[in-house]
Order: sequence, then structure tokens, then C-alpha cells
Amino acid sequence: MQIVQYLITMIIVLSLNFFLPRMIPGDPLTVLEGDPSTDMPMLLTEEARAKLLTYYGLDKPLLAQYKDYLLKMAQGDLGWSIYYNVPVTSLLWGRLKWTLLLMGIATAVYTALGILLGTVSAWYRGSKTDLGLLGGVFALGSWPSFFLAMLLIIAFSVKLDLFPIGGVGNATGEYSSALGRTLDVTYHLFLPCVALVLSHLPSVYLVMRNSLLSVLGQDYIRTAKAKGLRERFILWRHALPNGLLPVITMIAMHFGLLITGTISVEVVFSYPGMGTLLHEAFRARDYPVLQGAFLLIMITVLFFNLLAEFLYARLDPRTRRRWTNA
Amino acid sequence: MTRRILLISLILLAIFAITACRPESVAPPTTQGAPAEPTQTSEPLTIKYPGDDWGYPSPFAFYPRGPGYTRMSFLFDTLVWKDEEGIIPWLAEDWQVSDDGTAWTFAIRSDVKFQDGEPLTVEDVVFSYAFFKEHMTAFKWNASLEKVKGVEAVSENGVAITLKEPFAGFLNDTAGSIPILPKHIWEDVEDPAKFAEPEAVIGSGPFTLTDYNREEGRYVYEANEDYFKGRPIIDRLVFVKVSDEALALETGTVDAASFWGKEIDVVKELRSDGTFEVLEGPSFWVLQLVFNTANPPFDKANVRQAVAQAIDRQNIVEQVTHGGAIVANLGIISPHTDWYNPNLPTYKHDTAEAKTFFEEQGLTTKPLTLITTANFAREAEMVKQDLEAVGLAIQLKTGDRTTVDTLLREGNFDLAINGHGGIANPSILDTPDWPAATYKNEMYDTLFAQQAQAVDQEKRRELVWQLQELLAEELPILPLYHPRMWLLYDGSKLDTWFYTAGGMSVGIPIPLNKLAFLPR
Repeated sequence: MQIVQYLITMIIVLSLNFFLPRMIPGDPLTVLEGDPSTDMPMLLTEEARAKLLTYYGLDKPLLAQYKDYLLKMAQGDLGWSIYYNVPVTSLLWGRLKWTLLLMGIATAVYTALGILLGTVSAWYRGSKTDLGLLGGVFALGSWPSFFLAMLLIIAFSVKLDLFPIGGVGNATGEYSSALGRTLDVTYHLFLPCVALVLSHLPSVYLVMRNSLLSVLGQDYIRTAKAKGLRERFILWRHALPNGLLPVITMIAMHFGLLITGTISVEVVFSYPGMGTLLHEAFRARDYPVLQGAFLLIMITVLFFNLLAEFLYARLDPRTRRRWTNA
Repeated sequence: MTRRILLISLILLAIFAITACRPESVAPPTTQGAPAEPTQTSEPLTIKYPGDDWGYPSPFAFYPRGPGYTRMSFLFDTLVWKDEEGIIPWLAEDWQVSDDGTAWTFAIRSDVKFQDGEPLTVEDVVFSYAFFKEHMTAFKWNASLEKVKGVEAVSENGVAITLKEPFAGFLNDTAGSIPILPKHIWEDVEDPAKFAEPEAVIGSGPFTLTDYNREEGRYVYEANEDYFKGRPIIDRLVFVKVSDEALALETGTVDAASFWGKEIDVVKELRSDGTFEVLEGPSFWVLQLVFNTANPPFDKANVRQAVAQAIDRQNIVEQVTHGGAIVANLGIISPHTDWYNPNLPTYKHDTAEAKTFFEEQGLTTKPLTLITTANFAREAEMVKQDLEAVGLAIQLKTGDRTTVDTLLREGNFDLAINGHGGIANPSILDTPDWPAATYKNEMYDTLFAQQAQAVDQEKRRELVWQLQELLAEELPILPLYHPRMWLLYDGSKLDTWFYTAGGMSVGIPIPLNKLAFLPR
């Protein structure tokens, strides 16, 4: 049953991926014809326009295009980008690896840190530590991520000259060794990663703190205390597994969207990633790229949904029934 | 337990992620990955310029934009080129045109070599023109090749190009734009847009491409030692992707950067530092208020003229651009060109008179839509205020650029604020309200067709002046402003930068002319 549900979802999303981009005004040729905001116009003659439409297969009836699209998708062929003029797979992979690197590390760090700090805060509720953390996190959370990113650049790159202002490596891309490159990439990764961690940390922290607080107030915890169990034991074995449930839902959603990147941070640090690619592809109405990117997002979201359901079953025996029923 | 799992997965993820980008570091750059010559005594001179990804710089694969063209122009040459004064000989050392303007002959230099050592001959020229005509690309040169009837070699170094009809822009738009390809590389290529091999970037140009990275928006060019105009005066030209060009200049990430229009505040600040030289030039760009002349009320010229009275263009220039622009020529053409007509009628800003007019015409009730993109929201806001002050009801709508373009194309608007470049070239007057096409005027079209065929420059100028007069009277659009442009650069590294007369090729304004990097 579960599989069927996921299959139906996939088909619906695949179709949406095809039809939605085509429903926005404009077509890929609008942008090929020239960008009035930055550049000179290029007037395409009707004949040239028709030729280009044929070249990209956009002159066929919509349903025929849809059929081609489904057939190609079934073969794992994502097509050729109209604006970027390269295969969509290589374009996506080129961006995805940077997004995974940046978002992967940042997500892991802010999740771990958020859970840790949230637990500390809840456990020592009302103490100076708790209030300090809460205040600090609220202050952080009230700044948009691009603003945090810019502050970091001005402080650490311009004033202190400790980190580069952006990019993923040095200007020429030449290194004497692979290790040198790895180190330089890590060095360039630091500030964007910090910006992402700081801007995402508050949500994980707050959810963790609140959820653990409500668990700690429940009767079975009092019972456990009354039984004379050690406090650490109560926290680790009784409180945390239940307290983690909402956090897992949230993290599964975060992970699902992990590959869309974060456009604000990417732009400020001129870091290549899926966020800016999606934005550019939308601007250019580059249908094949949009379809490919949405497909990738769909797969990740569905995968992490599945994973979350699985984790839930492990942590909360009550949710297991759904699996056995199916 | 949970924390340990998290920690382990965190470490695993980090390791995976870092190794994920290793393969690329091991792979050598696409073409000649030769290490820097150890014989060189002094430090190699590298010029870094901010940029972004504009596509693989083969003549067929770059993104169809000005910056994409410049990336290609370092690698490939054209028959003629331009300096700060105008057209100069390049691959062709001399040329002639028949009296009727349809037969051009070019004498090709005999000392030019492609970067793979093969000589560039008339065969390559003939092949290139035929090849571009046969294969569609999205770049402008399809339009410029449309009038070409035939190309043939007439002697050892002579090429004859015949046109279907006289084409005044031929030398600039065609001969000065079409790159000459090595026939031996391209003759068997079937789909040139998808031909992205290392050979696809071998031209005769002053630089060779040693690295291109799409994700990082990086281009690395190295001086071509055997260039026929002499070896470039810099060793390397590198394009770096940066998010803030001013910060990049200040931190030394780049050696020069271009700014325009509203960025004047940044320019002022950097200029006061005294570290950078400043070179001002024209942007060949116009922001205009587009009228839908197909529908009432803007189908009448006197209504459009009253709008021109209502809008305080000087105020927009001061308030929005802080003086980073000049009030636009009502005839669209950039004042920084030979085509500019300085004697056009003007409309004095007069709110009271315009208000009386609109009230008499009974135009103050029907709401009108004004569309624009977020970039020009402030300009649109000021236009709206000026129009509301004379009694019009304006609904402001902003959309993303492609949406606005499409609405304009479909004629789905009353008013729009939209900008474009290319105004150094009279061919831009073809559709004054581009990308809309609501303006219909037979006299205008006749004049335009006449100037397009006027090979005699004086005669053409006369006709282009008449077109501008017509525009200033009829006002199918109200040009608002032309942004100013500045290049800020570190003069101790390179001080030969200049702005190309009328822009490179069909009118690319950015000061990245390859001639700036060559001995002169």
C-alpha cells in the first residue's frame, strides 16, 4: 500500500514538473532573445524563432512533448538545457555536489548543536544557562540569513582579513596538490557554513527545547524520578526518545529540502549551488533544467519522508502499527 | 546513544562531502595544462576581473549575451574590430565596397595562425560565413547574416561577400561580429551548439583558454605567444565569480570592476579612497516608459505628449539614480554616438497644464496598469506619483522579467517601464517599443528601411536623425534615462583600459576589448 501511495505521488509530481513551468508566461526563447535589463536586445526573425523552436522540440503539441518527456524520464534521460547548452544531468551534478557539501555539513552541525543546546536548555530550565541560550538564539533567529552572511563577510573578510569573501577556491583554480585544494575548499566553506548554522540553529533548538520540556512534565517522568532512577538515565532512556519525535519530523523536512540549497547564502558568498541554479533556470524558463531539478527534489523529499517514517517506528512503537497494517 | 549516532553520521557526511569534490581537483584542466614557464624571470602579470558563468566560450556555446560574447572574443577574431575611435582593420587589412553597397571584398592578412599552428586562410573565412549561415545559434549574428547572399574566395587572400540588398550596418554588425573558425576543426561538426570539445575553443585570438569552470564561473586565459598583433602585454586574464564587486576590489580579489547607474554611491566611496583609477564611459542603455499605442488612451500622440509633460525625468535621475544617469534622448539613440540628434523638440515639465489636458479629455477615471520588474520599482513609483498628480489612476504591477517581457510582447499592458541596451546602433530603432510591438507608423518604417540600406554614412546619419525627430514628436515611448558607467581599476597593474566606440560587436558596452591587452 505504502509503495502504491508513493508511486501515485511520483506520477502526479512528474506531471506537475512538466506542466507547471509551461504555465508561467513566456518561453525559453524569450530569454534567448535578449535580456533587456542587462544587455542589448537581439531581435529574432520569425523564421529564426521557428527554427529554434523546432531545434528544441518546442513546436510539437503539448501532449506529444509530454509523451517524449515521460519516455525520456523513464530512460533516465533528463535532456539538454536550453539556456546553459549542456546536458541537464551534468549541470545538476555540477551544482549538486557543492550544495551537498555546504548544506550537508551545515545541516549536520546545526542539527547536532540544536539538539544538544535544546536538551541542555530544557534540562536546566529556568537557569542562567537556559535563559542565556534562549536569549542568544532569539537574537540570532531574528536576523535574516543573508544579513548574517553579510555581517560575517564584513567582520571576518574585510575587517579582519581572515577568510575569503566568497567562492569555493582560489581565483585561478590551480593547486599544487589535491590536499592543498581540499584545504582551500574547506577554508572557503567555513564562513558560508557558519552563516547557515547560525540561521538554522534557532528552529532546531527551540523545537527540541519545547518538546523535551513537555515530555519532562509528564507523569511517567515523575514516576521514574519517584522510583529513584538516576537523572542521566531518565534523560537518555525516558525523555529523549519521546522528545526527539517532533525534531525528527522537522529534520526530515529540512533534509528533503537540503538539495534546493539556500539562495541567499549562495548569492552573498557567490557559492555555486542548486538555489541559484533554480532561480536562473526559472528566470530563463529553461524547462529541461526545471524538470530535472524538481525531479531531484521530489526524490530527496520522498526518500527522507520514508526515512522519517522508519525512524518514527523505531523510536515510537505506537506508530509501528501502520506498517504492520499495510 | 542518539548523540553518538549523530556524531558519527556527521563525521561520515563531512568526509563524504569533502571527498565528493576531490575528483575534479585531480582531473587536469580541459586543455593544455602546461605549467607556467620557468624561463620567465619576472612575476607573471595576471589581471583578475569579476565575472560569472557565461557558458563555454566556443562561438556556438556561450550564453547569448554581451559578457558571453566577450569571453569568446579573446579566443576568436573577426574581419574588422573596433577601438576607442571606430572600426579598424583586424583579420582583414583592407576592404572595398561597390557603389550599390552589395559587394564587399576583404583582403585577409597572410600572417595569421590559429592556436594549433594551422594558418588562417581565405578558406576559413568563406567556411565560417557559410557555417554560421547554415547553423542556428541564438546569438545576434543570425540576423546580421540574413542579408548575406554568398561568400567566395576571389584570390589568394581576397574574399568577396555579396549581399541580397545594401546593408548599412554590414561592416559593424556582420564583419565586426562574426568570428572566423578554423575550417579543419569545424567542417565535420554536425551540431555545433553541442560541440564542447577542447578544440571548440581554438581560434586565432590573442589568448588561449586554459581553464573554464561552469560552477565557479571561472575563465583562465593565457597569452598567445604567436599572436599576429603581438604578444599580449599581460600574461593571464582570469574571470572570478564574486558577489560584491566593490568588496572584491577592496580586498584585491579582482584588479578592475565595472559599475553603472545607481551604483554611483559605491563608485564615489571607492574613488575617495584614491587607490583606484576611474574611467567613465557610456552604457548604451536606456530606461523607458513604454506606451501601448495600440489601445486607448495612449494611441493618441497628444495624450503621450501630455504624459511627457507630467513626468519629471530630471527628478527621477536625481532621486533614484543619485546622478548616476543622464536624462535620456527622446530619440532613444545614445548621446555618446555619431548618430545622436541633439536638436530634438523637448517637453517642459508642467503638472498644471498636463492636469488640465487630462481633465478635458476625461481620462481621469479609468484605471491604467503600469507594469515593471522589481529592479525599477522606484522609478515606477515616481512615474506613478507624477501621473497621479495630473489626475490619472495608475495601478502598479511588478513581475519577474520574463513575465513582463511576455506581457509586452502580447500587448497586455497600458504602460510599462522597461530598459534595454544596444542604443549605440541605429538598428535598435527598428522596434522603438521593443519587446512590445504596438507602434505602427508607415512613414517611420519607410525611413528605417531607407537608413538600413544607406551605405553612405552621411546619408544614413541624416535618416537616423529624422527617425529620432519622429520619435520625439510621436513618443511611442518616453525615454527616461541613460545610466553612466565606470570602470575602477588598479592602474599599477594595467592602465590601458578603454571604452569601445559604439560598443564591441553590435554594441557591447563593457570595457573588455581585447585591444586593451595588446601592445599598441
